[in-house]
Amino acid sequence: MTLAQLLFVLALAAVLVAVVGFGFVVISSAARRGGGTYLGTGLIRRLQRYPEERAEFNRWAFYAHRFTGFAVFAFLCLHILDISLYALAPQAYDEVHVVYGWTPMRLSECALLFAILFHTFNGLRILAIDVADLGSRVSRGLLIGAVVLTALLGLGGSAIIMAPVLT
Amino acid sequence: MSTPAQHKDGEFRPGDRYDVPARAAGGGRLFYYLTVRITGLLLTILVLGHFIVTHITTDVAETDTDFIARRWDSVLWLLWDWAMLTAAMLHGAAGVWISIEDYTPDHEKRRRRQRLLVSISTLLFVLGLIVIAAAIF
Repeated sequence: MTLAQLLFVLALAAVLVAVVGFGFVVISSAARRGGGTYLGTGLIRRLQRYPEERAEFNRWAFYAHRFTGFAVFAFLCLHILDISLYALAPQAYDEVHVVYGWTPMRLSECALLFAILFHTFNGLRILAIDVADLGSRVSRGLLIGAVVLTALLGLGGSAIIMAPVLT
Repeated sequence: MSTPAQHKDGEFRPGDRYDVPARAAGGGRLFYYLTVRITGLLLTILVLGHFIVTHITTDVAETDTDFIARRWDSVLWLLWDWAMLTAAMLHGAAGVWISIEDYTPDHEKRRRRQRLLVSISTLLFVLGLIVIAAAIF
């Protein structure tokens, strides 16, 4: 491992720590004053209610949106730095770029893809709710659609990303 | 935790947060809202397109300096990356800004963190601009 690669891996680890830490802040804040994460005892009972009486999926979507948004932005900050090597030190860029092909990095790229996909589709859903003035039934349907699309496209994309190291 | 933030009429509305003053209504709010929504809409195409080109149609192991040099020969891709950089930094910084607002009750701390956010985002944005400009000249 060269020095440039080591620095990149360390910076990536710092990004992961920041993202996990932010996740804890979101969850603990939700538990303290956002009405709760609602993962407690009443979950099963609430899920048995009529869908019209359940708004908690919207709240979970909010937490997930915030978390994925922060994760993508944190990676973007690192990504600008590593791309800047292209102009500042091309040799170091090529060294760091090799890391992108390593299996653990490819796994993080799959995670990044899932984060981007969910943030995109849920973001479009939020936009649609405002622009088209959608009600709770349609917005919940769109949320299910966003999750399904994220899962399908995420799994397909991950298969393509992982293929070179799996075969 | 000290006393909850009071509205002028002394009433509490559902969803009021402790210690965090209600965000001022008016032009600033609308500008923030539009910035996030418009850059977000742009980013759906710019970022997904970027990800497809660097991970799906090209394996990530091939995206070396030659790959960038070839792509940045085209004005379209330079424009694409410039638009993506600008929109992403605006969108991301705006999102973290509002998160800091929500999770930092202490006024002084909040201002300090938001100043730090703006400094880091601006530095990275300028660095990105320099890299793109260096590809042109």
